[in-house]
Amino acid sequence: MCGIIGYVGEHSAGSIVTQGLSNLDYRGYDSAGVALVDSEVVIDKRSGEVSNLEVPDSDATTGIGHTRWSTHGPPTDINAHPHTDCTGEIAVVHNGIIENYDVLKSKLSSHTFESDTDTEVIPHLLEAELKSDTSLREAVQAVVAQLEGSYAICVSVKSRDEIVVARDGSPLVVGYGDGENFVGSDVTAFLEHTQTVTYLEDGDVARVDDGDIEVWNGNQKVERDVERVEWEAEAAEKGGYEHFMRKEIHEQPTALRQTLSGRIDISAATADLDLEFEEAFLESIEEIQFVACGTSYYAALYAAELLERFGDVRTSVTIASEYRFGGGRDPYCTLTVAVTQSGETADTLRAIRRAEAAGARTMAVTNTLGSTVTREVDETLFIRAGPEIGVAATKTFASQVTTLALFSVFLGRARGGISAAKARDVLEDLQRVPGAIQQALDREREVIDAAEKYEDSRSFFFVGRSLGVPVALEGALKLKEISYAHAEGFAAGELKHGPLALVTPETPVLGVLTEGANPAETMNNVTEAQTRGADALGCVSSDTRFRTLDVSFSVPDVGVAEPLVANVYLQLFAYHVANLQDRPIDKPRNLAKSVTVE
Amino acid sequence: MHDSEPTAVILAAGEGQRLRPLTNRRPKPMLPVAGKPILEYVIEAVAEAGISDIVLVVGYRQERIRTHFGDGTHWGLDIGYVEQRRQLGTGHALLQATEKIADPFLMLNGDRIVDASLIDMVNQALTGETQTPVISMTAVETPREYGVIQLDDADRATGIEEKPERRIDTSLINAGVYGFQPAIFEAIRDTSTSGELELTATLSEMALESPLETIEYTGEWLDVSHLWDLVEANASLVDERAHDDFDTTTHIAADVCIDPGVQCGPGAVIEGGTSVGANVSIGSNVTIANSVILPDAVIQSGSVIEDSVIGSNVSIGANTTIEGGETTVTVGESLHSEIELGAVIGDNAEIGAGVTLESGTVVGTTAVIDAGVGTGGRIGDDAYIRRA
Repeated sequence: MCGIIGYVGEHSAGSIVTQGLSNLDYRGYDSAGVALVDSEVVIDKRSGEVSNLEVPDSDATTGIGHTRWSTHGPPTDINAHPHTDCTGEIAVVHNGIIENYDVLKSKLSSHTFESDTDTEVIPHLLEAELKSDTSLREAVQAVVAQLEGSYAICVSVKSRDEIVVARDGSPLVVGYGDGENFVGSDVTAFLEHTQTVTYLEDGDVARVDDGDIEVWNGNQKVERDVERVEWEAEAAEKGGYEHFMRKEIHEQPTALRQTLSGRIDISAATADLDLEFEEAFLESIEEIQFVACGTSYYAALYAAELLERFGDVRTSVTIASEYRFGGGRDPYCTLTVAVTQSGETADTLRAIRRAEAAGARTMAVTNTLGSTVTREVDETLFIRAGPEIGVAATKTFASQVTTLALFSVFLGRARGGISAAKARDVLEDLQRVPGAIQQALDREREVIDAAEKYEDSRSFFFVGRSLGVPVALEGALKLKEISYAHAEGFAAGELKHGPLALVTPETPVLGVLTEGANPAETMNNVTEAQTRGADALGCVSSDTRFRTLDVSFSVPDVGVAEPLVANVYLQLFAYHVANLQDRPIDKPRNLAKSVTVE
Repeated sequence: MHDSEPTAVILAAGEGQRLRPLTNRRPKPMLPVAGKPILEYVIEAVAEAGISDIVLVVGYRQERIRTHFGDGTHWGLDIGYVEQRRQLGTGHALLQATEKIADPFLMLNGDRIVDASLIDMVNQALTGETQTPVISMTAVETPREYGVIQLDDADRATGIEEKPERRIDTSLINAGVYGFQPAIFEAIRDTSTSGELELTATLSEMALESPLETIEYTGEWLDVSHLWDLVEANASLVDERAHDDFDTTTHIAADVCIDPGVQCGPGAVIEGGTSVGANVSIGSNVTIANSVILPDAVIQSGSVIEDSVIGSNVSIGANTTIEGGETTVTVGESLHSEIELGAVIGDNAEIGAGVTLESGTVVGTTAVIDAGVGTGGRIGDDAYIRRA
């Protein structure tokens, strides 16, 4: 989504702000701009890449920048941020949506508007509030009091060596340097300069200059926790590979070792997850509701099946934007789990707030320390995958599923859903997932050969049963996201209820044929497609063989985690098809890494 | 003279065939010693010598290297990559870096651990008056396994002879750290060759025309040529680290290196000279001594492992015994005696419960040995050994 960077200090703001925008470009954007501020305000903003910007020569040591992902108004130079007031002295960048901008704009009839954006009302409102004797902070507070919607705002004004930021509903973080300070929509904006940060909370307004950062909430000055970010700037760089996505696929064994580290307790036959739900509540749960979007939704589908098997609990999985707390449920016996990599997914946040409002207990499963969702739920389970930059989620899916598989064992043991012996088997299988995934990665050459053979196919169909269904769905999503090929995933049994009509010799079928995915039955469906001339590719448990497959990828024996390992082959397949087609793999058209608008 | 620090080109494209099965799935520079790959020691020494620009020549199983080192920011370095698609010798490998080099530069082997002081000495010599290549040499006990250096009266090299079969009267061998002018690329291209393009062939030709400047080095120099060298190199580097006991029933020696996420059952004993990789699971009452355990391995209760290398994701059943001590090992056609080696188990192999492996056993990747088998010698990749 949109990205914000701001700098006040002693160095050239132009280069620091531009670098910050490049750091943020993984979020996806369609236009970018900077404002450099000293005794004048100089702006350069354009549609397209950050590299298109012609940042003016300036000695300014205060500056703000923005990458925009269009919501109100098309991606044009005019609609790019920063926006200014009539005098051109007040520069504003904004993430989120101002819902009442029509009303506000109609009250500003004496002002001249240039863009189609909702954002532009903010500098004009500020122009009206900002007198020579008011502080910028007070003016911003007066303006945000009039705004409805969700926003993170960053403001800088001519001849004032300060930046004021405000947040309500969209993430903002401030960073502490030495003789300089930073603001950003997330820490990657300025991580190479400082790792000491404060995450702002809703309603906060912060004034930042080269020495101090002061945070206000309402009329109160407040102290917010100062935290140290453990991610290194390096981890957010492309390093060593042509695309982040391939790097992140290859990082999965390391990521999963981190996910598992210290969480498996073989002798107690449970997972040690540091959750503080009281035992009575765990026993009383009647339903676990998952809310999630995209790849996280598929991870939740996988987890729900494991929870039904091991946790002895009823589950539901709802696409977050469709969620409401439905009838016939007892909120006090319900746990609603938000699965979101970024912790900022707007749809998922809205869903978890609805659950909270209905009285359900809530838990977040996320990769991002300090993210909004972690502050809104009762308990958080971190997936510990490390930063993921490629827009297409890869290692975070594996870490989400693995973390939730640990949770299913934990819950199963707490509720008596599985025996200690069975729990131990599952934990031992989970522990073997990093090694099993490494084996799949070692066979990348086989996947490249298959990608070369099938890259020009008209459509791709992914099928599976049971735990193979979410993996089939995820495999299809990955392929369409990054290669733009038409791909569909569905439960194998559904093939002959419709999609079979689309199967031709030009539409290969990929089957998840491992343990945990009813391989023999799924193979029957794959054969139905082969009978119509389609080629069939399959991910198959190492101890079985389907001789009629055209291409077979071997999956080591790791029990219920086998479909997760099969998914690694599907990730590599999607990557190599897209790479052969020269797609912009890390930044697919129209997509953004974290979707912070509903 | 040149005003900026030179670039270091590190050759890391090789497979390391003598180290199979451990190099079936990773290049030789990525073999772990005391918790990190050999190449990481090389890169850290280069960094310690004050050099921050590194070009890695990669080829065989290069994903392992790219994933581990990325662009080098973690080490405060700028690491770039060039690819050697086919292994056609060290000279050919170096040629791949031609486009990235404009000034005098250093070259190192990615599979030999050297001290920063050697790199610094070669760098000093390179920045001096000399226009000829600078080569480094060190004394070893078995010079005939390496490139032996002939010197003239002024201690300049007049030739390098690879693995001579004749009797020799020097112990000085090529230590593998070089200082070059960009003219070396032209010299490599002009080298007459009937097969692989070896850098030492080019240097020998150059030395005939004008002897090469040499640096003699007496510090740490570790080469892993054979499987058993890995056990020894690990033991010699692990001694500066330590790990607390897991609980009161386990015993961990002072010179043991244990990565995060290792699980250890009650009564386990880990003796000195051992390193244990991430996510390894060690059962109760297991004893491990003087061994390298790669990540993700599972060792069940009561097993005893000495002087061994256990590959990544290997599983070893309960009460399996791998005996250490002196043995004789055959590699290809040559016989190596008085070798200290328990067993080397290739990645992903499955060893059943109650198996006994003789000293000097080498088990291939993904091989399976059934419970109760007693065996030894060389067991191939994907082999299945049943109880007779």
